[in-house]
Amino acid sequence: MDKSSHISVVLDLSPSQWHLSSLPHNPYPLSFKSFLSQVLAFLNLHIASKHENTLAVFGAFPGKSVMLYSSSNPASDSSDSGNPNIYRPFEIVDSRVVTRIEEELELIDDKEEEAPIGLVGALTKALCYINRITHPTTSTQSTIVEDPAILPDPRILILSVSPDLSTSYIPIMNSIFSAQKLKVIIDVCKVYGPNTVFLEQAAHLTGGSYVYLERRDALLQHLVMSHLPSPALRKLMAVPTQEKIDFRAACFCHKNIIDVGFVCSVCLSIFCAPVPVCSTCRTKFPIKTLQRLNASRAPALRPVNGAAKTSAPSTPSLPSTPR
Amino acid sequence: MPPRKDNEYIDADSDSDVDILDESGNRGRKSKGKAIDRRRKDKGKGKSSEQPYAWEASYARSWDTVQEDEAGSLTTAVADLLARNRRRRLLAPANAIRRTIIRHLIIILDLSLSMMDRDMRPTRFDLSLEYAREFIVEWFDQNPLGQIGLVGMRAGLGERLSEMSGNSQDVLKAISERHKLEPAGEPSLQNAVEMARGSMGHLPTHSSREILIIFGSLTTVDPGNIHDTLEACIRDRIRVSVVALAAEMKVCRDFCDKTGGQFGVAMNEGHFKDLLFELIPPPAQRVLSRAAGAGATNPAADLMVMGFPVRLPDTSLPALCVCHSELKSEGFLCPRCSAKVCDVPTDCDICGLMIVSSPHLARSYHHLFPVKPYQAIISLEEGSAFAKSCHACARSFPDAPTSTFTATAEGMSPLGRYRCPDCHHDFCTECDVFVHDVVHCCPGCGK
Ligand SMILES: [Zn+2]
Ligand SMILES: [Zn+2]
Ligand SMILES: [Zn+2]
Ligand SMILES: [Zn+2]
Ligand SMILES: [Zn+2]
Ligand SMILES: [Zn+2]
Repeated sequence: MDKSSHISVVLDLSPSQWHLSSLPHNPYPLSFKSFLSQVLAFLNLHIASKHENTLAVFGAFPGKSVMLYSSSNPASDSSDSGNPNIYRPFEIVDSRVVTRIEEELELIDDKEEEAPIGLVGALTKALCYINRITHPTTSTQSTIVEDPAILPDPRILILSVSPDLSTSYIPIMNSIFSAQKLKVIIDVCKVYGPNTVFLEQAAHLTGGSYVYLERRDALLQHLVMSHLPSPALRKLMAVPTQEKIDFRAACFCHKNIIDVGFVCSVCLSIFCAPVPVCSTCRTKFPIKTLQRLNASRAPALRPVNGAAKTSAPSTPSLPSTPR
Repeated sequence: MPPRKDNEYIDADSDSDVDILDESGNRGRKSKGKAIDRRRKDKGKGKSSEQPYAWEASYARSWDTVQEDEAGSLTTAVADLLARNRRRRLLAPANAIRRTIIRHLIIILDLSLSMMDRDMRPTRFDLSLEYAREFIVEWFDQNPLGQIGLVGMRAGLGERLSEMSGNSQDVLKAISERHKLEPAGEPSLQNAVEMARGSMGHLPTHSSREILIIFGSLTTVDPGNIHDTLEACIRDRIRVSVVALAAEMKVCRDFCDKTGGQFGVAMNEGHFKDLLFELIPPPAQRVLSRAAGAGATNPAADLMVMGFPVRLPDTSLPALCVCHSELKSEGFLCPRCSAKVCDVPTDCDICGLMIVSSPHLARSYHHLFPVKPYQAIISLEEGSAFAKSCHACARSFPDAPTSTFTATAEGMSPLGRYRCPDCHHDFCTECDVFVHDVVHCCPGCGK
């Protein structure tokens, strides 16, 4: 029998990116309003497809992250008279998510709008929440009753619109490894903007799927086809797989995303240029290595040196690609 | 929850910090015990007098270590474990940096009939499989860029159990099926070492080449002169270490002494494990700690150039790989010369760049940038606003202190409330443990 499943949805709610996304010069402009209504339809589908299915929604705002909804503590104001034409759980999810987003957006002033997006916070919150529901608590004051027989099959779906934030490289990698430990898969749907290297790696390393949305008018269809089926079902379906996975990393010194880096052999810190001392573990590197690396690094800038180097057998003098 | 087996990407066990609640107390105790053992060993080689032989040892009953309180409940014991874990974290040294170099190791397992001996419980064979598993997990944790291959010695032949791989799950899978490894016949040291040597021939020069032999037999049946094999190992700079389960053999001792490896005869189960686990830290570390300790300039430290590749999916157009000249779809592209290689980490055959996948490096970063310990909130009487629920998982906090925690209060919050010193958000007990032991990233600060 198909098990119940849990989805933690992480919504990237960067106002500036959503503004860019809705501009009419895009091939398929997608406004935030239309995005939200399609996402809510998806959330309703998830709840409707099995009674035991659980859901949590997290919002990543500029500079902060918030839990918008969770099925274990749904809206407290359940007394208000709902629309009799709408299935009650749908209405709760919809109204709760929409009001919470409105509340949080109200709180953001213009200064904060420029703050980096709190995606890492939302992702780690989702992991903490999943940790809590999959490992029934040991303490006695718990209010949630968990039946261990119907532990949900957890996964995280990230709907991303912001570009990679290179300062979050290490936290994202740490989140990926904890997701692996919790056996949580991370699905990524890139709704707007360029591919993000870190989220590609997240989906790849946790066995999730990464979908780059080209036809953004078909968001709901993509969500339903590739992100609704539970992990058990995906074996039977042709879920879109990733094209290429970019294993680039961010350097520790300038947070640039690089494809060739200089790595400290002691602590494995990555630098984008040869450094005499590792800034993380204070290890001094041999001067010889620095000279050799500096010489082989810029053959195009100093052709005389580069030519001289070709006679030296120790260093390969292949031109390095510009980084 | 039964783990999903269909998912080959998840390698959950490759980081040994994986204890969330239950084993944490035991782990702390165990590692402390190990440290004491090691100190004892360093002092002098007098461990035999202090450690009992296997037949003298008494059973350690794990259920004795957890005790019920007066009310017959385990809650206090659990809380006690938690508290101990928190204190351990607060006391942990700040310099948790370990040196790591690129290592290649072939483990040769004795699968001859002598491994069925029962002088180690349950049998030498079962015990070495179990320890080998623990060894592999721990080894990959400390050597994230390393690779391990497995070779078995059975019925006079060397058998390749698993290819060199940087994925601990691949290696563990090879020894997960006991029935496929059923011991038989005599071992052949020469055949196995030659097989291991053959699979390390192509390795880059800056990486280490090591062989670890778990040897239970007292004989070896070899097709030729084993001293020729020894010479070849010295020539290839392969370091051979032997953990013998029976007794010292001259040829094994020679292998270790002449190649710079370690030789040890296990006297009991614990000693066997210690001998194995001594081989986990990278050799550079051992040399350094013996020579001078902290502060000295480390000759092994270096800056390495590494490339982070692009992985091609198995749906891409097939192309020849530069390592085997085979037509394949999947593979990795060298970022410098765009040559296609089959697996990482490796050296690009065209431009010589070391190609690694960055997640391999990132696995050890949480040791470099740990999350600050959260402060336990003792009382709510400070007048400031207190959040109703955990900032991470949204579980509501209790309003009044709970009685179960008061007994073991040190380092624990009676309110189950822990506050991040940076972002001043409050977290519950469970999230506190989870954030510090697993995620290594504060959900409030986002870093
Ligand atoms: Zn840099
Ligand atoms: Zn370093
Ligand atoms: Zn190949
Ligand atoms: Zn190359
Ligand atoms: Zn919590
Ligand atoms: Zn914090």
